[in-house]
Amino acid sequence: MMKIKIFVLSVLLTFPIVPQEIDFNLPHNIKLFADFLFCEKDYLRAIVEYKKYLNTTENDTVQFKIALAYSKMNEFNLAFANLEKIKRASIFYQDGISEKLKLLFIQNNDSAFYQFAKNVVSSDIKYQKLYLCYGLLNKIKYGDKNKFLAAFDNEEKISVEKFYEQKLNPNYKSEVLAGILSAIIPGSGKIYTEEYGDGITSFLLTGLFSYLAYTNFDHKHYTRAWIFTALGAGFYAGNVYGSVASAQIFNAKVNFEFENGLKLYLEEKNYFIPEYEFCK
Amino acid sequence: MNFVNKILFLFLILFANYFAQTTLQQQFNYAVSLFEQEKYFDAITEFKRLQFFDKENQFTFESNLLIGKSYKSGAKFDDAIKYFTLAEIASKNDEDFYQANIFNARANILRKTNNQAERILTDLLNDKKFSSKKNEINYWLGWNAIFSDDWKKAAQIFSENNLDTALANLCKSVDEEFYSVDFAKYSSYLLPGLGQFYTKEYVSGVLSLGWNILGGYLTINSFVEDRVLDGIIIGNFLWMRFYSGNTQNAEKFAIQKNLEISNQTLKYLQNKFAGEKP
Repeated sequence: MMKIKIFVLSVLLTFPIVPQEIDFNLPHNIKLFADFLFCEKDYLRAIVEYKKYLNTTENDTVQFKIALAYSKMNEFNLAFANLEKIKRASIFYQDGISEKLKLLFIQNNDSAFYQFAKNVVSSDIKYQKLYLCYGLLNKIKYGDKNKFLAAFDNEEKISVEKFYEQKLNPNYKSEVLAGILSAIIPGSGKIYTEEYGDGITSFLLTGLFSYLAYTNFDHKHYTRAWIFTALGAGFYAGNVYGSVASAQIFNAKVNFEFENGLKLYLEEKNYFIPEYEFCK
Repeated sequence: MNFVNKILFLFLILFANYFAQTTLQQQFNYAVSLFEQEKYFDAITEFKRLQFFDKENQFTFESNLLIGKSYKSGAKFDDAIKYFTLAEIASKNDEDFYQANIFNARANILRKTNNQAERILTDLLNDKKFSSKKNEINYWLGWNAIFSDDWKKAAQIFSENNLDTALANLCKSVDEEFYSVDFAKYSSYLLPGLGQFYTKEYVSGVLSLGWNILGGYLTINSFVEDRVLDGIIIGNFLWMRFYSGNTQNAEKFAIQKNLEISNQTLKYLQNKFAGEKP
């Protein structure tokens, strides 16, 4: 009896120690490690480990995470290809569509985006948000504001409405008006396009050279007078052309700020895709 | 308990412990072998795997240090510094702490965050525990001065206590070869083109001098002939433009030439210098 007790005790004592032996190549351990890497944002290594895991076990979550990891690494084509592998029966199928739409949005490939969006937007209202925002970025005019905003929830509506208004009534400056203003009063076109420093400089320089040309003609210094006339004319013409260019630059800046603002907003909203809880 | 049972008991415990340790130890050895074969990507993966399963943190310091070294070898200095810092946190004794900090400083030198490197090295230098390592710390302070482009300071550090005579001489020669940026700039204020001559840019020097003589002549001539407005216009738009351009140009040449000298020396140090490098 004593012997049995000792044997049982020895086995019990060693039992908690023996399982510490770790088989790193067990699929379960590979997945645990890959999940750790994924949450550490070491996506490249996570992908390698997930692929190793998929060699032994089929798992749609892992497949989806591989796609997400590629997406985080800006490897959009590889991300898309991996999303394509998610089957219709998977719980990640819908999320996969959202992710694909997001990838096509980021790639800014019009034809591919619209071809894909055409098929999915009608199937679920949640895809409409990104589709509508893509339209805002790509010169599509939406007629009815309420109809446009209907897809968004109340909190989103406030921001999206601002972008919609900016798109509908952009704060552009007229290139023609800028040119005409500068032709009448040198520099005024630049002031109109909010280039105040340039406007004042243009006014002063054109005025100065005109004055120098005038006084030199008046004093019969013809060579110098013609030089200042040429300089004055050059500044005048350059100022008119510069005002038109300034209006174009101003408008390009308006477009850039609009696009940047919208893209930033969408990034913050994760392209209307809810955050996954893989790392919580 | 008879003798056989005692032996059996002892054997089971030893055997179990052996397994528990060997798997992690084997993994560590495997990762180290990858590191030694310069397969840094795989080495990092295996060290990270080890860390993930090493629940008792037996290998935390070593793995963090070697991950840092791997990242450093791949020129991923931000990641390297992160892992050297983690190694420092996990250090078990003064030697570990010292090693982690030295590698952290070396990665900072290469990343050209020289203030950070200097702070780490100065802290080590001021720590009495590492007074026996003074020479090594100073050696890296010298390298930090090189990467800060302060060759004079580097020469001073390397020559103190004959730390490294070869490096001291090299740094001294670079410092002597350097052009004085201030002299190039201010000499051009006195005589346009002089700074360019000083930096051996003779054509540019002659052109600068020529334009300034012409501008000066036209300006002064206008004033002499009582054409005050002409004088102001020519002086402002022609002469002053060439005069200020000439000083800026001389300064730029000196900076550019110094950069060339620095880069040539750094290239030499990278490819030909046999001693230890950051």
